[in-house]
Amino acid sequence: MSEVVDFAIEVASAALCFVLVKFMFKPYGLTREGRYLGLPVGFAFLGISEAMLAIGILQPAGELRLLSLLTRTFAYVFMAATYYFSRDPAKNSRLLWSITFGLIVVALATLAVMMLRGFQFGLNLNPSLSVFLRLLALFCISYICVHTIRKHVQTSEGATLWIPLGFFFLGISQYSMIIWAGDANFVQGYAFVGALVARFTGLGIFIAVSYLSFYKRKGRPDEKPSA
Amino acid sequence: MKNLQRRDRVKIYGDLLSILNAEANSEKIVLTKVQVQINVPFDRLKNYISELIELGLIENEYSLKLTEKGKQFLREYEKVLDFMKRMGLIYGKQKKIHENDPTGLCP
Repeated sequence: MSEVVDFAIEVASAALCFVLVKFMFKPYGLTREGRYLGLPVGFAFLGISEAMLAIGILQPAGELRLLSLLTRTFAYVFMAATYYFSRDPAKNSRLLWSITFGLIVVALATLAVMMLRGFQFGLNLNPSLSVFLRLLALFCISYICVHTIRKHVQTSEGATLWIPLGFFFLGISQYSMIIWAGDANFVQGYAFVGALVARFTGLGIFIAVSYLSFYKRKGRPDEKPSA
Repeated sequence: MKNLQRRDRVKIYGDLLSILNAEANSEKIVLTKVQVQINVPFDRLKNYISELIELGLIENEYSLKLTEKGKQFLREYEKVLDFMKRMGLIYGKQKKIHENDPTGLCP
């Protein structure tokens, strides 16, 4: 019964992430600026990570759990890169973005191959690598939170506060997962449930913000109803 | 030297369409006034207007005005800008997301 619930939770998380990909793609779709690709790619990786966890519940395999952690971490790396390059465009920012994007993809591919080869040759990379990946994810989320809060302070509008809050909840979720990884018994208590609640709250905030931007009637003074 | 923010073509198109939409009730649109508002040289403004006419976003019958395709583009453009702003993707002081709803989350 517990496995069914876990599976449903992971599938629901993956579905939310894939819905968010559609919205996150729109800035790139309009501007064709490569630096905005990090958000849709990031949420797609987040969705793939949750899908891997869901498959891992049906067919338990150590590789899947670690690959899921890798894709989740790189999801946040892609997002952080987009936020870093979303500042005022500099002269060489397009070239720098292309180089950075390429380097992230190469790092992701290298780590994935190292992991799979490690499993094939019986090397246990799991403990040190998983700690590193979780810390990297936390660092990226912290950077995004600081960036979006600074942006909120600059605009001083209530509407821009929700996204740092969403990333904050995703950060709490990651942090709770670190606690869970360190002390499995604590799972029975609060850490695991807390991580899930924080994850759904964060994703829910992103869905709400996307809905408000694209579907809510704004009623601007200059807007006229179409004939 | 002033640190002016570089605008790409889509942003200029969007700004131009917004201005033309705001001026929709005017009998005649004065291009020099539009030029001041959009802050581009006059010859480039005329080029942009020609490009927008070619794209079918505006028409120039008696006066410049947005076509249905242009209005649709402008609506989508404003939604994406609003989303990007909420996501913290654009820097700089911009107009409020909602004039009557500073939180943007009130029904």
